Amino acid sequence: MALTARTPLLALAGALVVALLAPTLAGVLAVCAVILAGVVADLLFAGSVRALTFSRDGATSVRLGERAEVRLRVTNPGRRTVRGVLRDAWQPSAGAETDRHRVAVPPGQARTLTTVLRPTRRGDRLAHRVTVRAVGPLGLAARQGSHEVPWAVRALPPFHSRRHLPGRLDRLRRLDGRSAAHVRGQGTEFDSLREYVLGDDVRSIDWRATARTADVMVRTWRPERDRHVLLVLDTGRTAAGRIGDGTRLDAAMDAALLLAALASRAGDRVDLLAYDRGVRASVQGVAAAQLLPSLVTAMAPLEPELVESDARGLVGEVLRRTRRRSLVVLLTGLDPAPLEEGLLPVLPSLTARHRLLVAAVADPAVAQLARGRGDADAVYGAAAAERTLAERAHVTALLARHGAEVVDAVPDRLPPALADRYLDLKAAGRL
Amino acid sequence: MSTSVSPDAARVWRAARAPLVIVFAVLATAVVLSLSRSGDGGALDPESATEDGSRAVARLLGAQGVTVEARHSSRGLDARGATLFVTRPDLVDPGTLRTLTREAASVVLLAPSQDTLDAVAPGIAEVGPLAEEVRRPGCALPAAVAAGGVTLGGTDYAAVLTCYDGALATDGAVTVLGGPAPLTNARLDEEGNAALALRVLGGHERLVWYLPSPGDPALRGEEALTDLLPDAWVFGAAQVGVAAVLLALWRARRLGPVVSEPLPVVVRAAETVEGRARLYRRGGAADHAAEALRRASIERLLSALGLPCDAEPAAVVAAIAARTGRDTAALLYGPPPADDAALVRLADELDALENEVRL
Repeated sequence: MALTARTPLLALAGALVVALLAPTLAGVLAVCAVILAGVVADLLFAGSVRALTFSRDGATSVRLGERAEVRLRVTNPGRRTVRGVLRDAWQPSAGAETDRHRVAVPPGQARTLTTVLRPTRRGDRLAHRVTVRAVGPLGLAARQGSHEVPWAVRALPPFHSRRHLPGRLDRLRRLDGRSAAHVRGQGTEFDSLREYVLGDDVRSIDWRATARTADVMVRTWRPERDRHVLLVLDTGRTAAGRIGDGTRLDAAMDAALLLAALASRAGDRVDLLAYDRGVRASVQGVAAAQLLPSLVTAMAPLEPELVESDARGLVGEVLRRTRRRSLVVLLTGLDPAPLEEGLLPVLPSLTARHRLLVAAVADPAVAQLARGRGDADAVYGAAAAERTLAERAHVTALLARHGAEVVDAVPDRLPPALADRYLDLKAAGRL
Repeated sequence: MSTSVSPDAARVWRAARAPLVIVFAVLATAVVLSLSRSGDGGALDPESATEDGSRAVARLLGAQGVTVEARHSSRGLDARGATLFVTRPDLVDPGTLRTLTREAASVVLLAPSQDTLDAVAPGIAEVGPLAEEVRRPGCALPAAVAAGGVTLGGTDYAAVLTCYDGALATDGAVTVLGGPAPLTNARLDEEGNAALALRVLGGHERLVWYLPSPGDPALRGEEALTDLLPDAWVFGAAQVGVAAVLLALWRARRLGPVVSEPLPVVVRAAETVEGRARLYRRGGAADHAAEALRRASIERLLSALGLPCDAEPAAVVAAIAARTGRDTAALLYGPPPADDAALVRLADELDALENEVRL
């Protein structure tokens, strides 16, 4: 049960009655008895909350930062109208704009309420409970009860780096030989001959064909298609580091999504694996049209785990999943200790069969710290930052020596840098 | 589909019965205990059997044919022709006490202060504190002479007739005792305590044993505000109190429980770097810090000068000298700075050198 504001107001009015008409203990008791009778009557004649039934429909997923509507249908099978307040409670991070609704459901009827959500965090945002406060006819007291009406809205990663996609697709099209053949890589396949136009690379002129015809002919080349790209997200403790507003994992996801969008347009097959001490998420063998939705859905509930990643298990899982030669993109941190002790010993077995591209999220705060001058605190900070940068450079050199490519960039720059490196590899025919 | 999670009547009863049983058991125990130990009371209570009580002396007086009337309030108190014993005279309003004193045949006051004495026995004056110990009478008062040595102390009084080093004083019908020791159950059997108590309190057939208690209208300063207010205000305020309780109940009832948010653990990525900087600072590791800064500068200079990564110091210094005409051996490869100030200077000089080489 619950009281309404009218009950204390009535009691306050009763104070006047007591003071002016009956200044005795009996007067106080009489006023209290009247209030109590009203409250009991309200509780008896309010609509039944327990009997209400609920069902939901509406959005099940939403991109982070956008709004989703979830509808709640309230059916009243009881004999009295349920009139009062309904609270559709969600997790705070679901960002419900208004979770309180006025309701009046006559007997045997149903009403539909809409809750607008604007999630503030990635992942599954859950509905908690629906609580209804049904006020009695006098408006003094209300019956109150809660129902579990489960629903989840999956907040998908925002994919901020979408804006870099058109530029990279342009570059891809040029690679594809449909425009001019600026770039000719080893291992690319011969596509066709066409007339020379100003700006074409003179090295791509096919002299024999030119001799046979009146015009200067150039060969165009098409990069390999149908290669296999495996995106590996390291969700271990190094991914939990906060950089700016997001975690390393958020930045890694953004970069992975851009690369996946680009690679699937380039005709490559893209798979995803998220791993720390076990497989956290996996997308395998999805058609290009369904790839991005599957990826964001798989990534949405991922959170960094505070455990040391198992590099040996990760490499084993990668080798188990890939039959033919692939481009393995490992999105991780460049912390020296976990890499030197975990990844480096098992790296040869990976680089022997696949091309490895390590994408690391750098922290702009470290670079800023390295520029600190002026007083002792700032200079010690700069020294510590320089030391960290030197360690990263050392690890990068170690990885390069083992045949791995490294992209190390701050969160904003990582997605385009990774996409560019992929295009470089593709252009050079080294996939 | 939905499921109701509000408790129904059966669940409310199941949840509430254990606390109800506990509350009932506690109340029952309290009632039984209070009934079985009804002899307990405050200090100098003629019904109390505790060490500080006075049931023993009351029984002795009763055996001597003295009627002991215990009174907790001045209301209906009739001391005419009787001995009036006031255990805490300072609590009683002096006016009331004076009236009672006039009515009584004799009065015994326990440790009164000067205010009280001024009102009832102006012939006695308070002197100061007195240790509680066995004292000799040292006076001609018949009761004291008969009782002999007595455990007494507390307050020292000055009067025409004082006994026990001032711990007992008389002024007319008023007898003042400095402390309660001779009357308590614990001390009654020591020395001549019982004899003194019986003689002082048992002078008349009736003894009115007055223990001023809360609720006594004669208590000093006890004229409550409620007595002055008209009833309309009092009961109106009571009803406003009811309204306040209802207001609290209205505001206290939440519309459903608080929803918790499982938050991920997130650590700032630069935390370890800042931690290392603080360690350098605390350890005064100017040499390590200078080493890190110099190495970083040399790396950048090497790429600016087009030298290989593993260039010899001499080659680096020579290349810089060729570019800028400066000798930088001491700056780049010299001894580490001695203190923080030297480190700050070193960092600035390295910056200046890098700018110069790049220009």
